[in-house]
Amino acid sequence: MARVKFDDVTKVFEDTSGPIVAVEELSLDIPDGEFVVFVGPSGCGKSTTLRMLAGLESITDGEIRLDDQPINQMSPRDRDIAMVFQSYALYPHKTVRQNMGYGLQLSTDLSDEEVDRRVVEAAEMMGIEDLLDKKPGSLSGGQQQRVATGRAIVREPAVFLFDEPLSNLDAQLRKHMRTELSRIHSELGITTIYVTHDQEEAMTMADRIVILNDGKLQQVGTPKEVYYRPANAFVADFIGSPSMNFFDVDLRTESDGSGTLAGEGISYAVSNDVVEMVGGDGEYTLGIRPENLRIDSTAPDAKTFEAEVDVVEVIGSDNFLYLEVGGKECRVRAPVEIEPAEGETVDVTFDESDLHLFDRNTEEALVHGHERADAEPRTIEQEA
Amino acid sequence: MINETRRSRLVLYAALGAFALFALAPYYWVIRTSFLTNFAAIDPATNYLPALESLTMAAYEQIWERYNFITFFKNSILVSVTATVISLFFSIPGAYAFARLDFPGRKVLFYTAVFTIMFPWIVITIPVYEVFYLLNLINTLVGVMIALSIFVLPQTIWLLQGFFRQGIPENIEEAALIDGHSELGAFLRIVLPLSAPAVGAAALFAFLTAWNNFLWVFVLTSDEEVRTATVALHYILGSDVLRQWNILMAAVVLLVAPPVVFYGLSQRYVGEGLGGM
Repeated sequence: MARVKFDDVTKVFEDTSGPIVAVEELSLDIPDGEFVVFVGPSGCGKSTTLRMLAGLESITDGEIRLDDQPINQMSPRDRDIAMVFQSYALYPHKTVRQNMGYGLQLSTDLSDEEVDRRVVEAAEMMGIEDLLDKKPGSLSGGQQQRVATGRAIVREPAVFLFDEPLSNLDAQLRKHMRTELSRIHSELGITTIYVTHDQEEAMTMADRIVILNDGKLQQVGTPKEVYYRPANAFVADFIGSPSMNFFDVDLRTESDGSGTLAGEGISYAVSNDVVEMVGGDGEYTLGIRPENLRIDSTAPDAKTFEAEVDVVEVIGSDNFLYLEVGGKECRVRAPVEIEPAEGETVDVTFDESDLHLFDRNTEEALVHGHERADAEPRTIEQEA
Repeated sequence: MINETRRSRLVLYAALGAFALFALAPYYWVIRTSFLTNFAAIDPATNYLPALESLTMAAYEQIWERYNFITFFKNSILVSVTATVISLFFSIPGAYAFARLDFPGRKVLFYTAVFTIMFPWIVITIPVYEVFYLLNLINTLVGVMIALSIFVLPQTIWLLQGFFRQGIPENIEEAALIDGHSELGAFLRIVLPLSAPAVGAAALFAFLTAWNNFLWVFVLTSDEEVRTATVALHYILGSDVLRQWNILMAAVVLLVAPPVVFYGLSQRYVGEGLGGM
């Protein structure tokens, strides 16, 4: 078990068209035993970061420490890590038993019996005891995934690395494995770094989520923090499904200190508190999550805007409504009773406590709703 | 009335049969002629399928008596096997480097190698002869082995790098590095065993290219002691005023036999190896 520390880690790839910065000055401290998920769109640098930690990619600048020991120059085998790859990367010419025991045989001087005992133990944990003498080629994707995870568990490493391990599984199996990996983490308590592009995976599994975009750290926080207090518009957009609705609005202050957000088909009255927090008139981006929007004709006019129903998706537990507001799509997650006809005009409202306001230029978050906005929004600098 | 699928299958097999006949007829003719007397071979009265009693081993016996075919074959096997081994020894690490490593000049070197496969070798016979003459390698088996190794090498590199690039996922090597191998260890213990089919296929092609090579052996040797079977056949063909077709065909059969045997032995790997390329 170990603490992992990234200090201003930068990775630059040299390409014929010039240098490509994959990771830029990433600083992060992961305490022992934490389950951290790196999430972001493809090309955001999350896998590169993981591979630098594994020793599969050199570090251009900065330092990575494992339990306060710099590992920049260490070869992968000396780092005491185990990694599960998206493609599983099992040795096709070895049986499951040999695949799982290979690392122990190479890197420890355990006796064959001891290696086998640990392999069987890990296999029982993963529920693959009866596959031990099969070759990977004869296993299903889900079974191969279990073997790959089992191979990592056997090592009892200081850190587990997972590089999109569930991406090749079907949706149902993916959900199942998610729970199973969480269970294994709580049983073993080994520091785990997990890379995924799936924000739902990140939300359900992580102790803390690290959100990256274009090689830059966007925010680090618990799932609730990144959901309720996204540091910027990118995080707000990336976390949550369906993703947050954004509207470019102008704030007009009234004489009594309250104000109105208006623009892109929206007009919404806000209280003095919000006006105070953003610091008066100006151009902002309003963000509001689909689950916070309500179809409600009884709401006060000043806090309502009209929208035309475009598409209604019935998914059973909820209805997803796709509305058109000021020429833009607006997504609403509504209870099943609300099922307006397509083409109908509805009144849409939301609570002030659910709104997010972002600086339109820097995209930094300024306000996270009324109740939760009692402190300054956390910014990237503070988190890092 | 036959239904659609059966009819199209009939057409398919008819076409395949016609093509097989076209492809196999020359081989049949070679074998047929080699078991006839020279007179029967050119006699129009001999049937396409000659009577059993007209078949004879005479041509093979004559080859045994008149020509030094044991030496030729020994030379052929020696140079082909050596060229195969040497070219594999260099092309396995070379192909791996082309497939996996990024080093300055990688593309230029690789395309140079590929270009030499397509290059008409006859154009460079004189400079090559000069070089081998300077090195005192003319008329020696060592010279032929070196020449064949060099000319087989690019093709072997090309075949193998394709396999390393596509047939072996990079993650498997990375898993081996994390499991505790050094880069060399991961290559020798994980990549190479997985590449056995491709190496087998590359070895087969290297052997065939070396075995069938005429030009370099012909250019670099003149003595009978260092002649290979392929070149010896040319001398047989050109030696007699009255062509002895049966002897010629018997020599061809003998010449083709070792590659066929070698292919039979490595056939299991070849499909698999080529499949990954």
